Amino acid sequence: MNLDHFGMDTITLAGPLEGKLRAMRAGGFSQVMLSANDLAGHPGGPDAAVQAVRASGLRVTGFQVLRDFEGLSGHLHAYKVDIAKAMLSMCRALGARVLLACSSTSSHATGDTGALTRDLQKLAMLAVPYGIRIAYEALSWGRHVNEYPQAWQIVADADRANLGLALDSFHMLATGTGRDALEEIDPAKIFLVQLADFMWREIRSREERIDTARHFRVFPGEGVHSADVGELVRALDRLGYRGDYSFEVFNDDYTQLPVGLVTERARRSVKWLTDQVSRRSLPLRGAAA
Amino acid sequence: MAMTLQERLPEPSNPVGIDGLEFIEFATSQPQALGALLRKMGFAPVARHRSREVVLYRQGPMNLIVNAHDAKEPTPEIKAIALRVRDAGQAWAHALALGAWEMPTRASAMELNIPGIHGVGDSLIYFVDRYRDFSIYDVDFVYEQHAERHPPALAGLHYFGVVQSIYGERTRDWVDFYRNLFGFSVLPEGKYFGVLPKGTLLESPCHKFYLQLIEPPPGSEDIHWEEALVRIGLGAPDVPAATRALQSRGVVFVDRGPVQPSEKGALTQVYLGAVTFELVVSHLGDKAL
Repeated sequence: MNLDHFGMDTITLAGPLEGKLRAMRAGGFSQVMLSANDLAGHPGGPDAAVQAVRASGLRVTGFQVLRDFEGLSGHLHAYKVDIAKAMLSMCRALGARVLLACSSTSSHATGDTGALTRDLQKLAMLAVPYGIRIAYEALSWGRHVNEYPQAWQIVADADRANLGLALDSFHMLATGTGRDALEEIDPAKIFLVQLADFMWREIRSREERIDTARHFRVFPGEGVHSADVGELVRALDRLGYRGDYSFEVFNDDYTQLPVGLVTERARRSVKWLTDQVSRRSLPLRGAAA
Repeated sequence: MAMTLQERLPEPSNPVGIDGLEFIEFATSQPQALGALLRKMGFAPVARHRSREVVLYRQGPMNLIVNAHDAKEPTPEIKAIALRVRDAGQAWAHALALGAWEMPTRASAMELNIPGIHGVGDSLIYFVDRYRDFSIYDVDFVYEQHAERHPPALAGLHYFGVVQSIYGERTRDWVDFYRNLFGFSVLPEGKYFGVLPKGTLLESPCHKFYLQLIEPPPGSEDIHWEEALVRIGLGAPDVPAATRALQSRGVVFVDRGPVQPSEKGALTQVYLGAVTFELVVSHLGDKAL
């Protein structure tokens, strides 16, 4: 595992897209997780944003985020299908192979797993002609699906080649969901892993979860759950996951700092993580031999 | 009551009642060149569109449309396949409900409202239900005065299927697409037809034609490869007889390396920069198509 396996999310950095991409590149990163707003909010329009991404030479880890898609009916469902199609078109323009879809928070969404499964199958079908994979993530404040084993159950039931799971260490830590259920997951069906930590031990309410997630995340190695984050990456590595890791760090302080300082922290985090994995896996290899 | 419901329910294995290929559509800005090739292959022009530069060719049970309306590229491309279905409107609604993309409103060959969805690349899949006692061509086309409306097939040629190129590791995505929208099934590995034993063969739920999915061969990183409908497979009950009949009309077959005309199949050379036809031993033409 090395720097090439890690990318940064644009949401972590301040300023225009071009500056973020330059800073990531200068920090030694080779991939970037983009946000829909990078295109929608670009002063030169979406085409200029696409151009900037292509010119950066960075590989696009994925594109975020489709919210509240599953479980709706009637006109709400039709509306979300339109949004999904627009996002898939943006993914295609960017050359993004993965669209992140977060579990629904909508009070209008049903919790019927059959309906959730059908909707995700539909989303996967929409993504087939464009060659895009859907990574479904259990948001820790999702209305019906808020822990990764539930998301995995739906992904497994849906049984579509281009529908998989996104894991986010923040949400796993926020709900205190253990790593045991990872053993049940086919590593080839994990399409994306997002990593972040935070600075306090526990989160007690849904509101606090949302607030922490949106303003107070930190890079792995900087928070108070370092051991857990390290264990998670080691567990995924052991499981056979060889896909991308991206730092999804929403932090109000980091968006007030020069981008170079923040990418430097990200870089230190990669070093910390790779040390965790290589240090702990060496004795295992020795034991096996 | 139960009986009536039963009757109305589509067969689960053939949800839209597919009943063969109604037509295959090429687009090219040089329709005469393609027309000359089609004549060599045994097709005859039978009708012209009333207002657009679109010609209907026929041979036995096969309808083939050459669309030069708004075509920019001289190189012929397969732009659409039209599926015969039980109820075109219902088939379209079914596909959209499962996540197919509505056909763009750009000009299709027909003015008649033929519903369709996005297929691979920028190709379309049309649904046609009027093919028994009424022909869709009667509305939009004017028959050539002295031409036979139903020219016989050369050596029993009939549509065997269509070959679709896909990107690497995309077979399962496209299998999901055709299986879940229409009930296509994958033939067991090793069961293949013709002289090009590769890719994945999907059988239509009506057992009247096939789709063949081809990923780029190993070591082909440098060749241009995109997702598209690339070739028509023509079935013939006696391939050597069909090969001879076509050779006598000036069609050249590839006979080098592993691709040799045989009793199982034959492959024409590449015409007009992109067009090849593959002959496959088949008795599908014996069925009433």
